[in-house]
Amino acid sequence: MTASPARLTVNAAPVDLTPVPVDERLLDTVRWRLGLPGTKEGCRTGECGACTVLIDGRSVLSCLALTHEFAGAAVTTVEGLEGDPAGARVRAAFEAEGALQCGYCTPGFVVALTSLLKERGTEASAEELLEDLGGNLCRCTGYAAIVRAVRRIHGEMP
Amino acid sequence: MPAFSFVQPSTTDEALAALRQGEPGETVIVAGGTDALFELESRRIPPQRVISLRHLPWRTLSWAGESLRIGSTLPLRTLESDPDLRRRIPGLWQAVRAVGSVALRHRATLGGNLGRSSPASDLVPILLALDGEVDIVGIQGERSLPVDQFVRASRTTALGPGELIRSIAIPEARPSAFLWQRVRPANDISQVGVAVAYSPTRKEWRIAVGGVVPRPVLLPQAERLLSGPSPDAAELRAAAQEASMRVPFSTDRRASEAYRRQLVAILLQRAVRAAGSRPSPSGAP
Ligand SMILES: Cc1cc2nc3c(=O)[nH]c(=O)nc-3n(C[C@H](O)[C@H](O)[C@H](O)COP(=O)(O)OP(=O)(O)OC[C@H]3O[C@@H](n4cnc5c(N)ncnc54)[C@H](O)[C@@H]3O)c2cc1C
Ligand code: FES
Ligand code: FES
Repeated sequence: MTASPARLTVNAAPVDLTPVPVDERLLDTVRWRLGLPGTKEGCRTGECGACTVLIDGRSVLSCLALTHEFAGAAVTTVEGLEGDPAGARVRAAFEAEGALQCGYCTPGFVVALTSLLKERGTEASAEELLEDLGGNLCRCTGYAAIVRAVRRIHGEMP
Repeated sequence: MPAFSFVQPSTTDEALAALRQGEPGETVIVAGGTDALFELESRRIPPQRVISLRHLPWRTLSWAGESLRIGSTLPLRTLESDPDLRRRIPGLWQAVRAVGSVALRHRATLGGNLGRSSPASDLVPILLALDGEVDIVGIQGERSLPVDQFVRASRTTALGPGELIRSIAIPEARPSAFLWQRVRPANDISQVGVAVAYSPTRKEWRIAVGGVVPRPVLLPQAERLLSGPSPDAAELRAAAQEASMRVPFSTDRRASEAYRRQLVAILLQRAVRAAGSRPSPSGAP
């Protein structure tokens, strides 16, 4: 049994969990303890997707996660997608379509979409990708450009 | 939220040993945490310990002939990604897809949905319609209960202190469907959910409805109005009418009782038609 587990990695850098209180949310660890502001707090109740990070390559809502649950796991935030091919594709599409207004929801969309591409690759249709992005809300209602970015990614798929 | 002790057992024995510590009321169990973390914060008396089920070897899924066993801590997203589920038990696939968003389903589990036992659950109705069985391990031993006897009311189940849900068994793959109505498709709670399934061996329908206080219910009276695997329009209307009168709906902030009664009649007819139009999994008519 791992009573006080040792570490996790965030964007490939090891993070010692010893000083992290057991009731700390992963969202707060990432934003405030590690100073990575890309991950946003929108609702803190699992309803907006702004806090989405990857855990072992899969999208997870960091506001509904205790940091200590993920001892031994690899956490990737939007900042860590730099060298990731799926992440780079998503970012390029968002840039090409200008798919952001205030930008608050953008990291959540980028991370969620990166996870979908990693999970399903070229198998998922643009319609399926859009349906599976339903958990991400844009309060500027800038959805038209986001939808175009998703279609662009799909069109670019080999 | 003051600190508690945090344990992450990796075997069933370790989990049961952790449950033996202290009083049951002092412990919070976290599977996917999508509900339990609210529970942690809303508690008036903070818990002494949190037991995370993430490392238990219960993230399993196995088909044996027509039956399916789902480990309680398997993420719902893994369940919906099973290559056979959509074809063999379409209603369960639809119900799993109805829960929250993809990122939520990467963590949320079937065990957690049953543990929460929400009146608005999207999974309880289909588990009722499929005659699901809950496999329980505990300090006192093992037992198994039909889902119908397991769920009682919001946050109230047949689970005793010192017990955990280990897996859920579905006895047979059935032509089935789950339809819901809500305001937003993702990350919203259903106003009404209707699950239907036709048992090819018992040659009868099962109909269950969620969005009902105090818990989702089976509707045996409506079931009996449907004769074969592809009921005609008159039978469908009769079953829909029966269901809309019978279900103990109430009015809350999500929907009025009258709206729910109208919805259930429509969703029931659509669901039976959708389920009946699919060939049964074993190829029988
Ligand atoms: C934004 C949002 C949207 C949602 N949408 C839906 C929806 O559309 N439909 C729906 O049905 N639900 C929905 N939910 C509720 C919730 O996500 C689901 O009920 C989910 O299945 C819970 O699983 P979990 O593993 O996260 O449970 P947890 O939060 O880990 O646990 C829930 C409860 O069950 C107990 N428990 C968990 N596992 C076990 C076990 N193996 N043995 C004994 N007790 C156990 C816990 O102690 C806790 O009391 C939503 C929640 C949020 C936050
Ligand atoms: S902040 Fe986590 S889902 Fe909104
Ligand atoms: S761009 Fe402002 S919330 Fe989406």
